[in-house]
Amino acid sequence: MKLNFLFLMSFLALQVNAQEQRTFNPAGMLSLGGRTTVSLFNDHKNEMTGTGVGGQFRLRFSDAVNTDWFFDYITSDILNYAHRTDYHIGWSVLFYPINHLAYFHQPKDFKPKFRPYILAGHCFDYSKIEAKDGISPLDGALYAERWSSAVQAGIGTHLELTPRFDISLTGQYMIHLGNHIETDFDFTSGTLSFHEHKGASLAGHLLVTVSLNYKIARLWGFTRR
Amino acid sequence: MGIHQKIVGLFLAASTLVFSQEKLIYFEPSLLRASATIAPTRFYNHETTVAFINGFMEYVVEPKISVRGEANFMAPNGQLLFTNSPEKFPRNFASIYAGFGYHLGKKNWKIDLHAEPGIALAEMAQDPYVVVPSRFQWSACPSYMLKAGSSFYFSKYCHFFAEINFSNGWVRKTTLSSVSLAQYGVSAGLGFHLITQKHDE
Repeated sequence: MKLNFLFLMSFLALQVNAQEQRTFNPAGMLSLGGRTTVSLFNDHKNEMTGTGVGGQFRLRFSDAVNTDWFFDYITSDILNYAHRTDYHIGWSVLFYPINHLAYFHQPKDFKPKFRPYILAGHCFDYSKIEAKDGISPLDGALYAERWSSAVQAGIGTHLELTPRFDISLTGQYMIHLGNHIETDFDFTSGTLSFHEHKGASLAGHLLVTVSLNYKIARLWGFTRR
Repeated sequence: MGIHQKIVGLFLAASTLVFSQEKLIYFEPSLLRASATIAPTRFYNHETTVAFINGFMEYVVEPKISVRGEANFMAPNGQLLFTNSPEKFPRNFASIYAGFGYHLGKKNWKIDLHAEPGIALAEMAQDPYVVVPSRFQWSACPSYMLKAGSSFYFSKYCHFFAEINFSNGWVRKTTLSSVSLAQYGVSAGLGFHLITQKHDE
């Protein structure tokens, strides 16, 4: 019995020791940031590279898990006969696969560091494709729009320049599930027409995002010292 | 008093001034600074230079990090080189940006780097230039601005700054091809600042 008691006490002592070494738990950290996005390899016929701007907040749930909640406004060209506008609102879960390494836990002197992650998430998307003015006789009234849902996954890294400020670079592929808008342009007559296909259709694009984030608050949790 | 004594006395007085200035560091967290100036800006794809009215506000949150917002307005009829094709260049233009700054250097002389996503607002002709009068339409274009500069904080409330910037974006609501808003510009002048919180020594 005494032996069991000693064993239990030594086990508890080990646990206390482990907690002392771990001085900081980042759960509950809320960041606010702005972002710039480039949309590449769009599935839409003749669609060119798009550029976007947006904002996000980031809420961390544990040492290894973070979340991004974002809004993006992206515009792109469909050759020179139409242009497309996308609004994305969604969230991503970021997982830090090598966060357990000692490199990421520097208790005293902070040094800038990279923190790689993999991410996956979901978003809602509103797209509007409009004819370039001056081409269609309907002029401006000619457009098509759709709502869709999307999933995205990719990789990225933070560059943590200070304990509270980071620049993040993310590459992710986003697949939209929803109605499909087809754009037909007759180069001979210069006539543009839209065809909407009902039902589930997959269309995707690669999004490269640079975001600037600053930790503004700690919503829960505390620092153990 | 001879000339040598005067010179020595002058140097002694000057060294005292330098010493007293070294002790005061104005750039610190909670510093709020703002200014407005005229910023010549070159839209190099259009070979057109315009005059922007630029205003910014910036708050230092950490010794090296700040939050910054700024706006540019193209001065009316401010183009220094006119184009005969109104559909190729905005008739009116404004942009707003918000982002972060990173500040290098010690004491009161800083090297400033800024990255700011934003929106450019451009009013473009919607018809080829042969159609007169043309219709015009505003559009909001995703944009970003990168900025590098230097600031010298020489008093409790004032500083000098000089910056160069690059920004880009595309106007999609156009007659045919989209119009690039790629531009670089310079801005400089006198800025004003205030320490908004007292710090414990």
